Amino acid sequence: MNYELLQPDSLSGAMEALAQHGDEAKVLAGGTAVVLMLQQKLIAPTVLVSIGRVPDLDHIRTEPDGLHIGPLTILRDMERSSVIQRRFPLLAQACGEVGNVRIRNQATLGGNLAEADYASDPPTALLALGAQVTATSVRGARTIPLEDFLVGFYTTDLEPDELITDIFIPASTPGSRMTYLKYKSRSSEDRPCTGVAAIAAFGAKTCTDLRVAVGAACEVPQRLPAVESLARGQALTDELIGEIAAGYADSIETLEDIRGSARYRTQMIRVHVYRALEELRNGHR
Amino acid sequence: MAIGKSVPMLDSVARVTGTVPYASNLKLPDMLVGKVFRSSVPHARTIKLDVSAAEQLPGVVAIVTAADFAGDDTPNLHFGSTIQDQPVVAGDRIRFIGEPVALIAAESVVIADQAMDLIELEYEEIPAIFDAEEALLPGAPVLHEAFPDNLLGHSKLRRGDIEAGFAAADEIFEEVFSSPVAQQASLETQVAAARWKDGKLTVWTGSQSPYTVRRVLSAIFDLDVEDVRVIVPPLGGGFGGKGNIRTQPMAAALAWKVGDRPVKLVMTRAEEFLTVTKHAAKIIVKSGVKLDGTFTARKVTIYWNAGAYASSSAHLVPAGMLRALGPYRIPAGHVDSYGIYTNLPIAAAYRGAMSSQGVFAHESHMDTIAHRLGIDPLELRIKNLLRTDDIFATGERLHDIHFVECLEAAADGLGWHEPLQRENGTVKKRGRGVAVMMKNTIANSSSECRIKLDAEGRVTLYTSTVETGQGGHTAMAQIAAEALGVPIEALTVIGPDTAETPPDAQTASSRSTHMMGNAVLNGAASLRQHLAEAAAPILEWSPEDLSVADGYVFVTTQPQERIPYAEVLGRKNIAALTATGKYWTNEGKLDPETGQGISTPDWHQGAGACEVEVDTQTGKVTVLRYHSASFAGRVVNPTLAGLQNDGNVIFGLGASLLEEVAIDGGQITNPNLSDYMLPSFLDIPVELKNVSLEAEGSTFQGIGEMTLPPVAPAIANAIYDAVGARIRDLPLTAEKVLRVIHEQGEADDEQ
Repeated sequence: MNYELLQPDSLSGAMEALAQHGDEAKVLAGGTAVVLMLQQKLIAPTVLVSIGRVPDLDHIRTEPDGLHIGPLTILRDMERSSVIQRRFPLLAQACGEVGNVRIRNQATLGGNLAEADYASDPPTALLALGAQVTATSVRGARTIPLEDFLVGFYTTDLEPDELITDIFIPASTPGSRMTYLKYKSRSSEDRPCTGVAAIAAFGAKTCTDLRVAVGAACEVPQRLPAVESLARGQALTDELIGEIAAGYADSIETLEDIRGSARYRTQMIRVHVYRALEELRNGHR
Repeated sequence: MAIGKSVPMLDSVARVTGTVPYASNLKLPDMLVGKVFRSSVPHARTIKLDVSAAEQLPGVVAIVTAADFAGDDTPNLHFGSTIQDQPVVAGDRIRFIGEPVALIAAESVVIADQAMDLIELEYEEIPAIFDAEEALLPGAPVLHEAFPDNLLGHSKLRRGDIEAGFAAADEIFEEVFSSPVAQQASLETQVAAARWKDGKLTVWTGSQSPYTVRRVLSAIFDLDVEDVRVIVPPLGGGFGGKGNIRTQPMAAALAWKVGDRPVKLVMTRAEEFLTVTKHAAKIIVKSGVKLDGTFTARKVTIYWNAGAYASSSAHLVPAGMLRALGPYRIPAGHVDSYGIYTNLPIAAAYRGAMSSQGVFAHESHMDTIAHRLGIDPLELRIKNLLRTDDIFATGERLHDIHFVECLEAAADGLGWHEPLQRENGTVKKRGRGVAVMMKNTIANSSSECRIKLDAEGRVTLYTSTVETGQGGHTAMAQIAAEALGVPIEALTVIGPDTAETPPDAQTASSRSTHMMGNAVLNGAASLRQHLAEAAAPILEWSPEDLSVADGYVFVTTQPQERIPYAEVLGRKNIAALTATGKYWTNEGKLDPETGQGISTPDWHQGAGACEVEVDTQTGKVTVLRYHSASFAGRVVNPTLAGLQNDGNVIFGLGASLLEEVAIDGGQITNPNLSDYMLPSFLDIPVELKNVSLEAEGSTFQGIGEMTLPPVAPAIANAIYDAVGARIRDLPLTAEKVLRVIHEQGEADDEQ
C-alpha cells in the first residue's frame, strides 16, 4: 500500500489528475470498496484521487425530464430522500438494503456504480429505471445508458481518465408501481443472492408497460425486453407471471458464489421475479 | 448481598466510551511493528529462504527465520502445550497455506509490507491432505514423521457389551453428521507485544491462558518461568480462539532478535483465519433402540480435523469423546474420538468446543429415532435423560444432574405442548425443535487468587481470570464482596499479570465462575480468619469467638461488641491484610483404553427449544422464537448470566445457519467478515428468552457455553418438523434445505 493521495478541490482538477495518471490512478469516493481492495491487495494504484473536496457532486435534483443524482450522494441520503421515496420508491428501497447504516452513511452512488460489483442492490434498481450515467473527462462528457455502462464482472465502460459526474433517471409513467426484492440467502445484512427490480404501469385492467431487472445472480444486472413485452396489454394472471418468471430464470446465465450455486440462483430468480410481479399486480406499495 | 444482584459490569462505562485498554491499542516507547511472511502452498519442503534483500531495506530492524533457532545458544524452534510439534516459523517443512515462514520487525507497517515483497522462498511441493478421514488411510501424505498415520490422538470410551446391546435392539439407527471448519471471529484479533530487558521477557497479549503462555514461552527461550511476565488486558472476545498459545512465540522471537526494542504483532482479519479455527468433524452415530424408546447401545465415531499442528487438540479430543454419547441412559456405549493432522490451519477451541459438533449429531439423531418410533421428541429425551445418581458411561456416579429441568424449562417456555399453526396458506411453514447438551469441564486443574484488605477498607482482588467481555471480573468482585461483607464499590480487580496475580489454568471451558469463584470464597474465608486474629486482642476475645461480616469483626454471642475492618488494621498498625485462596479438582484421570474413571468435577448442562419458519420456495429458515435454559447452580449476576445464555444462542445461530470457512485446495477463500457470514442483530429471534436454573445448596456452575450446542440441532429438528427435511451437514443453508425439500417432493411423487 504505497500510493500518493491527491485531493483536488475542483472538477477540472480531478479531471486533470485522472488524465495525467490514467491507469495508475483510482478514484476514491466513499472508500467502502476501494479501501478493502487496497487492503486485500486486489488493486495497487500509485495515485488515489479523492473527489471528496470537489463541490456539487452530491446533489439530488428534480428537473422536468427526470431526476439527476450526483455521484457523491451517499446511499443513506438516497434511501431517505423524499423525492426518491415518492417518485422512485424501489430505488430508495434498494439503497436502503445495502450493507448496514454505517456502510450507507459512507458509500456513494457513483462509487457503487463504478465498482460494478455484481452482488449489489442499486445497479439492479437503476437498470429497471432506465438510468443513464454521464462520464466526464478532459476530453469532454458522454452519456451512457446503464446497460452499456455495466460491461461485466467488476467492469464498466469508464475510461481510466473518466469520472462519473451525473446519474440521470428519466421520469416514469405516472401511476407506475415499482418494487425491489432483495433475497438474502444468509444473514440479514448480507449482500443479495438475487435482486429483482420491477416496474409496471397499468391501464384499466391490463399492464401497459413492464420492466424487470435481475441482478446479483449474474455478472451484470439484466433486463429481458422480449420477456417483459409478454405483459404488454395483458392482465397479470398467475399464469402470465409464472411465464415471465420462467423466462427470466431460463434465459439468465447465473453464477456461483458463497451465497448460492448457479442452479440455486436460477431457482431464486424464478421465485423472486414471480413474487415481485405478484406484489405489483396486487397493488402493494 | 452482592451475589445474585445484577450489578453492572465493572468496566461498563469504559466499554461504551471506548476506553478499555485492549492490547490491540497498546503503545510502548520505541515499539516496532511485527509482520508475518507466510507460505502460499499447503505442503512443501523448503529449499531456500532468502531474506537478505528484505533485511537491507531501510526501516527493517530484524527478520526471524528458522535459521535463528539453529545454534546451540538459540531458542527452541518447536513448541506446544502438550505435543511440541509446532515451529515458531516453518523450517525445512511447510504444512499449511498461511504458515508463518519469516517474521519481520520494522519501523512501520508500510515498510514491513515492502519487506514482505522482497523475501524469496523456494520450495518443492509435496502431496497434501485436507480431509481428516482420508488422512488416516494407508499411503496418505504424512505431516509429522513422529505420527506416521497422521493420528495425534485416539480417545476411547468402552462401556458395556456393545454387540449384545445392538443384538437386543428392535431397531438400529445409523447416521453420519458433519460440521465444517469455522472461525471464532472475535471482534479484536489476536495480538501480542513483547519486550526483552536484562534477559527477561515481558509479553502483553490478548490471551485466555496467561499461564500457559508463560510456561510455553519459558520452554522456547530456556528461561525460568519467573523470567517471563505475561500481562493480559481485557479481551475484545476470545471464544476459545485465544486459549492455549497462538501468536506470542512469534512476537517474543522478533523482540529477542531485535534486542532492545519492543515489537507488537497484530493479526489482520485474514490472518485471524490462518491462526486458529474450529475443528471440522465427521461423526457417525449408531444406536440400538427398543420400540418403546429404551436404548440398548450406542456407538459413536468422530474424526476431528486438527489441522497441521496438535496445539490444544491433544486435550480437546478426549473432551470430545466424553460428550459424544449425549446425556442419556444407554447401557452399552462405545466412542472412538480421533484427532487427525491435515494440511489446514490449526483447529482449536471454539465456544462450545468439541460439544457443538457432537450435540448436533446426537440431538438430530434423537429426533430421527423419535419420528421413526412415533414418540414425541421431548418425551423420548425425558424418558432417557440421565438423572442424579445414575452411572455414566465412564462409570462415574452423577451428581447435581438437571438435564430434565433444563429441557423442560426450554420446552415449556416455548409452549411445546401448545398447538402450533404450521401453515397459514402461504409458502411458509413452521416447525418446532428441542435439544439438550452435556459437557465436562477442564478437570485436574486449579485456580488461585490473592485478596488484600487495606487500612482504608478497600479490597483488591488479584486474579488471573481473563476479562473476555463475559463479565468475569465483575462476577469475582461480587463473590469477594459478599464473602467479605463489603460493598462492591470497595472492590478493585487486578489481573491477569503473572508477576502479580497467582496461577490459574485458563479462562476457558466455562470454568472460571466455578473454579476461580470458589478460590475467591476460600481466599475470603482465609482473610476473615486473619481479621479475626488481628481483632482478637483488641476485642479481648479469642478468634474462635469472633465473627466477620458486613464490614465488622464482632463477638458472635454479643454482636454489639464490634469493630470495623479498617479500625482493626489501623489500631494494629497493619498496612494491609492479605490472604490467598485456592481451588482445585483432581478428576479427569481416565483409563486410556476404556475411558473409565471420574471425568469431571461437574457436568455442564443446557437445553434449547425453538420455533422456525421455512420458506418452502427458497429454503430460507427464520428462527422466530428461541428459549434456552442452562444449569447455573447459583447465579452470581442474573443480567450477565442471561446475556451469556442469550449470547450463546445468537452466537450459535452463526454456526447453525451461516458460518463455514470455505477452503479450496487448502486455501481459505472467504477470510473476511463480508464473505464469512456472522449473524447480524436483525437475525436475532423476535422472541428470545432464557432461564438460568438454580438448585438449593449448589455452587456456581459455568454457563458460558451451555445454551450454544443445542442451537444447531434444535433448529435442524424444527426444520424437519416444518418441512420433513433432515439436514445432516452444517450450516443449515437455504440452498441445502430447498434441495432436500425438492428431493422429498420427488420421492413423494414416485410413491
